Amino acid sequence: MRDVAFGQYYPVSSPIHRLDPRLKIIFTIMYIVTMFFVASYAGYALVLIFLLSVCAISHVPPKAMFKSIKGVIVLLMITAVLNLFFYAGETSVEWTWWIFTVSPEAIDFALKMMFRLILLIMGTTILTFTTGTSELTDAIESLFKPLTLIKIPVRDIALIMSIALRFIPGLIEETDKIMMAQKARGADMDSGNIFKRIKAMLPVIIPVFVSAFRKADELADALDARCYQASPKRTKMKKMRFAWRDLVAFLIFAAFVTLIFLDKYLWGGVDAYIVEAFKGLIG
Amino acid sequence: MIVPAAALWYNILRMTAIKVDNVYYAYETNEGEESRFAVNGVSLEIEEGSFVAVAGHNGSGKSTLARLFNGLLLPDKGSVTVFGTDTKDEKNIYKVRSSVGMVFQNPDNQMVASVVEDDIAFGPENLGLPREEIIRRVDKALEQVGMSEYRKSTPFRMSGGQKQRLAIAGVLAIRPKVLVLDESTAMLDPKGRREVMDVIHALNKQENMTVVHITHYMEEVLEADRVIVMDEGKIALDDAPRAVFARGEELKKYKLAPPAVTLIAHALARHGADIPCGITGEEELEEAICRSLSKI
Repeated sequence: MRDVAFGQYYPVSSPIHRLDPRLKIIFTIMYIVTMFFVASYAGYALVLIFLLSVCAISHVPPKAMFKSIKGVIVLLMITAVLNLFFYAGETSVEWTWWIFTVSPEAIDFALKMMFRLILLIMGTTILTFTTGTSELTDAIESLFKPLTLIKIPVRDIALIMSIALRFIPGLIEETDKIMMAQKARGADMDSGNIFKRIKAMLPVIIPVFVSAFRKADELADALDARCYQASPKRTKMKKMRFAWRDLVAFLIFAAFVTLIFLDKYLWGGVDAYIVEAFKGLIG
Repeated sequence: MIVPAAALWYNILRMTAIKVDNVYYAYETNEGEESRFAVNGVSLEIEEGSFVAVAGHNGSGKSTLARLFNGLLLPDKGSVTVFGTDTKDEKNIYKVRSSVGMVFQNPDNQMVASVVEDDIAFGPENLGLPREEIIRRVDKALEQVGMSEYRKSTPFRMSGGQKQRLAIAGVLAIRPKVLVLDESTAMLDPKGRREVMDVIHALNKQENMTVVHITHYMEEVLEADRVIVMDEGKIALDDAPRAVFARGEELKKYKLAPPAVTLIAHALARHGADIPCGITGEEELEEAICRSLSKI
């Protein structure tokens, strides 16, 4: 449970931390889209190098970034295995054993899919590692501000989001505590089939819900006590301003995206060239 | 004639911060259940600049009383007036809430943001203050609780005492005149409790902040100017801490345990030693014992 790195901000000072959070959100969305256009292993290597450099500049230990994958490793494995055996595209050679069929294309596809997912997760965690939740919600509030014109309470939604993110670690801790308490009283949560285990989770889920509601109640009082909604025009302590550093970051990011797209549409995946060159070297 | 005039001025200048006038409050109950008044006919006045402790066992109505002070709850009968403003006056509710700041029990459930300065800025941002003023207030509030160096950190891994001091700073940033602490020391270890008590005493003495401290720790009650003991939604005792502890046995009725020193003094007195009631300090007891022995 503790491996869920989501929402855990690394409070250090770095150029990445100081970037305009709105820009970081846009970068992250563009990054996610770009990931679906990576055409070659060289492309994935480029993404990894890019991520590691960003990580190094942001002073976030790369270990933390890799740790974020730990939570979804089972999902990754299942995806890879399914892709390996149920590849639907054209195949050149097939190796068949019993009901399983594997081809070089399937291996290629499964590997690329796995890299894609891993890099997607790692890339998006950089956003949460380097951006405080309040910055994040302020940015979302700012990006969605036009929606207030059609009477959508953007400000309230942003606050709800920031509070939800802030309470995640607390609720995880609470869940751990309750699990331990139930185990101490003899609850068995680690054995039996899946249905038994789900049923065994019930005495954990109910107290967690009760505690979450109690927390919400207290928080509502605390918000009221601190004059929430006192003024129709809520002000902001931190002003987001576009700086030179943001422009530089934008140019670097744009170069990165361009390379990936060139690889896909102009060079058609540089792997073949690299292999050729390698063969040339050996031969 | 000079003396009465001075006394008169003193009374005028020393304003009543909170005035509670014959207040009743009952929580909503399910149908068929008998409703019980959590606050049952309470009248009291809290003077500006005083340090008042409110004690009482669980369910005695002390937390309900606190929530009536800043309009989080509105009385069913009677009225609560904060610096002349009735809490029932909807137009002025934020005036009331910004003059009576409230700190709750669990510091984790009061924080809105995951960075210290953002959390403290929440109150002034709600008031719609200009940016420079917000920054000034955040600086000052952090300084007041002695946490300036933690400005950019995250409260996630801090000690309970530190977190609660930040919660106090978050309330101080709205510049209240009264600080109500609703069992804010109950979840802390002795060190954290001391930290919080030191902060609120400093605020009371140096900035003339009115403090209403709800607690069931008798050591903390001792440090107040005045203690209000609640029982069954009513005020059972309202006096200086010393006078309250002098009552000895009666306190058991309200499920309050006086400090050990007081208990020893009472026990000695009961067995015939010449020791006055209401002793609260160790040295005081030592002196009293010496005096009573020297008389023999």
